[in-house]
Amino acid sequence: MRFLSEGWTRVRSAPALLLGVYAVTFVLALPLAITMRGLLQTHLGSSLAADTVAAGVNYDWWQEFSSQSTGIGTTFTPAIIGFAATLDNLNSLIDRQRKIAPVAGAVALYLAAWTFLTGGILDRYARQRPTGTAGFFAACGVHFFRLLRLTVISGLAYAWLFAYVFPWLFLEWFVERTRTMAVERDVFLVRLALYLVFGTLLVIVNVIVDYTKIRIVVEDRRSALGALVAAMRFVWRRRGRVAGLYALNGLLFLIVIGIWAVIDPGVYGGITLWLTFLAGQLYLLARLALKLQFLASETALFQES
Amino acid sequence: MTRRRALPFLAIVFAIAAITTEGQSPRNASYDIDVRLDHGARTLTGRETIRWRNISTRPTSELQFHLYWNAWRNADSTWLRERKMSRNYTAPLPDGWGSMDVTSVQLRELSGSMRDLTSAIRFIAPDAAPHEGNTTDRTVMAVPLDRSVAPNETIELELAWNAKIPRPVSRTGYIGDFYFIAQWFPKLGVLEDTGWNTHQFHSPTEFYADFGVYDVRITVPTRFIVGATGRQTARTDNGDGSTTHRYQQEDVHDFAWTASPEYIDLTRTFTHPPLPPVEMRLLLQPEHRGQADRYFSATEAALKRYGEWFGAYPYGHATVVDPAFQSQADGMEYPTFFTGRARLFPSGSRQTPEMTVAHEAGHQWWYGMVATNEFEHAWMDEGINTYATARVLDEAFPGNRWELRFFGGHIPWSFPDIPFSRLDNDRIAGYRDNAEADVPATPTFRYWPSSAAIMSYNKTALWLHTLERHLGWPVMQRILSTFFERWTFKHPQPADFFQIVNEVSGQDLTWFFDQVYRSSNTFDYGVQDLLSERQDDGTYRTTVIARRYGEATFPVDVVTTFADGHQITETWNGLDRRAIYVYERSSRASHVQIDPRRVLLLDTAYTNNSRTLEPRGGAASLGWAARWMVWLQDLMVTYAFFV
Repeated sequence: MRFLSEGWTRVRSAPALLLGVYAVTFVLALPLAITMRGLLQTHLGSSLAADTVAAGVNYDWWQEFSSQSTGIGTTFTPAIIGFAATLDNLNSLIDRQRKIAPVAGAVALYLAAWTFLTGGILDRYARQRPTGTAGFFAACGVHFFRLLRLTVISGLAYAWLFAYVFPWLFLEWFVERTRTMAVERDVFLVRLALYLVFGTLLVIVNVIVDYTKIRIVVEDRRSALGALVAAMRFVWRRRGRVAGLYALNGLLFLIVIGIWAVIDPGVYGGITLWLTFLAGQLYLLARLALKLQFLASETALFQES
Repeated sequence: MTRRRALPFLAIVFAIAAITTEGQSPRNASYDIDVRLDHGARTLTGRETIRWRNISTRPTSELQFHLYWNAWRNADSTWLRERKMSRNYTAPLPDGWGSMDVTSVQLRELSGSMRDLTSAIRFIAPDAAPHEGNTTDRTVMAVPLDRSVAPNETIELELAWNAKIPRPVSRTGYIGDFYFIAQWFPKLGVLEDTGWNTHQFHSPTEFYADFGVYDVRITVPTRFIVGATGRQTARTDNGDGSTTHRYQQEDVHDFAWTASPEYIDLTRTFTHPPLPPVEMRLLLQPEHRGQADRYFSATEAALKRYGEWFGAYPYGHATVVDPAFQSQADGMEYPTFFTGRARLFPSGSRQTPEMTVAHEAGHQWWYGMVATNEFEHAWMDEGINTYATARVLDEAFPGNRWELRFFGGHIPWSFPDIPFSRLDNDRIAGYRDNAEADVPATPTFRYWPSSAAIMSYNKTALWLHTLERHLGWPVMQRILSTFFERWTFKHPQPADFFQIVNEVSGQDLTWFFDQVYRSSNTFDYGVQDLLSERQDDGTYRTTVIARRYGEATFPVDVVTTFADGHQITETWNGLDRRAIYVYERSSRASHVQIDPRRVLLLDTAYTNNSRTLEPRGGAASLGWAARWMVWLQDLMVTYAFFV
């Protein structure tokens, strides 16, 4: 709890970081959003349908648009609305759903941006004092290639999980064990258990990668592999604290998305549309604050151990 | 009671009288069956006595039977060959196959002795290309007779057979202790004036059979609860751990049953005078015990509205089955017996179980009593029923909403902002994507397998709904009630339906059926241009160019609205490629709409049916792009887990 609190103190003390990563999220999503707007505008043209589409949901038009769409137009589904977007994206991650190239490209760019920024972020949280813009980007630059190498290594680990473990668990074991089950509750519980198993494997990799990043930055390590081994040693020796902190942060994540599920602003037109857009941005800000909270609290734990 | 109210009331009373007294079926193919389920071996052993009367005008010296379960006997059956052409085909697992072997066929001679025809059995594949020469298909069995059966002559046959129950496939099979047993006995084809109509089992088709009386004794382990077509008339404990359940039903053309020890057995009575009461029996999965009311209310909604609109349900009882998960038995109809669909976590959406239950209940009228040939004209059941179900749901369950399911389909999320409209129940979305897939007049068994349902369900529902908007509901209701009244228990053909439409509407709508039934052309009307220019004298010259982009034609209204609110409506026959209208008025045009009442629901692109002088898509596209951007940002943040 102490590290959770300490992490939050560090996140709060550096609001520019939060605003910065939010700006990156906004800016990298914007080009595709503009493209999407062009597609929608072209399809609506001078049609009267635009009035009902602007006022709320015209699902008949929506389905017509979908049936004529290619590329990113195919991602324009009801799953984009409110909390369904969160469910859709979590489902997409845990169930290994493919994304079309432009969207996958935007996500890849975003991950690259995070890889670049992580050095500066961790440096700022570790120092617990303002580092200034120049200092921040200097730290980003110093650690970027080390973190990039780590990203390649962790990418291989995740790829192995998704390319080999996932199909074995969900496409073979799950199918084989559940195909004779006549009760949905039983099938659901098996799936839930497998999500827990697979999720735990993902979290283990995630935790090790997090502390590897911290060791690279805090200890100014040049070798990603060396930092990785050291991080594994650290995680193993302090497994109780590490797991407890991760679980508390995970609980915060569940609380945030739970609140978003309750708020779920729905679809409105006019000024209310922009209020719901604002609500969406605040939710994303909370998600990003949580992402930083993970890093900050883990940094605090590492530094105090 | 006003005259207006009295007429439908009297119509119902007459309809009931007609059905329950004079309207009985020919009862020319009656089955007396004993079947035993071997739960351990997953097999059926059966014997049946068939009393068949030749109601055609031609004699026959051969009998033809459907052995449907042989569709899953090997990978070369016609059914599986066609299924392989569909998307998402998965081959049956090694223990998933099913089969049916007739071990004895005997014909009762005039003397009363039995003549053994077993050695004469052969398998035929009556349907030509692309399955010509498919000698591996064993879903149709021919039995030559050494004599002719004259028109109106009755013969009696005794058959014995063994069957291996498949794992769930196409609404039959077993999973765990759950059995759903359909198309499970050797069943005669239909002898028509043109010869036997006995198609091999095809992937996109359902069934066709003559009416009769069924008396079926089903022996299962005692702990099993059984549901079936008809009424249970006896239950005998055999003292060996098995119990025989006897079910009887007159005037039906099929018989299916289910058995499971898990069912919750509930009954309720539907009453809505002057419609006759119906005893509803619901066999519910324990995990859906909270959804019993939803099952009953959907059944009642169908019984009430179909009864009022088309004719009363005459059987007095109906069994609704909530099938086991992964049983593939959901959403299917059999006489007096049908299956719904429910989920562990239901949502506020009424798609399950209401939509499914109302639809399958509705089949009792078209599939069950009118009983068209589903091998050849599936649209006459599925399409008419989809259209009618959409109307029932629109009335009975307003406020339905869309839902999506996540995490293996278990977790629902419904959208309060997205109504599930009658058009959605007409299945317009699927139609748009496959509007040209086939000519609906093509016999169903020749449809491209993966688009067959689009033609039978979606397109038919949409053209019937279009007809409703063109003629009005009162006329449409009379068309369907006349069709039901005139053709109950008689196997009508498409021409019979078209003839009734023309007769009742008082119009020759052949041109419409040429478009929607005998052609795969699509409808698409749109506004090519709208100009409104100020003239020297201060007036505005407004030019509207309406365009037919599709090949199919339909009369449409072209309504031009001016800035002062004045409207001018033109009725365009829709035949030419373009229609140009020019107006000189003191006011500038505001917008133009083609088919503003949306009569032509088959128009595949309705967005282009209207045009304003100034583009209006800006605000709408900005708002929705903003929402989409939140989704994309959420996706990015979610995947940031990896770095």
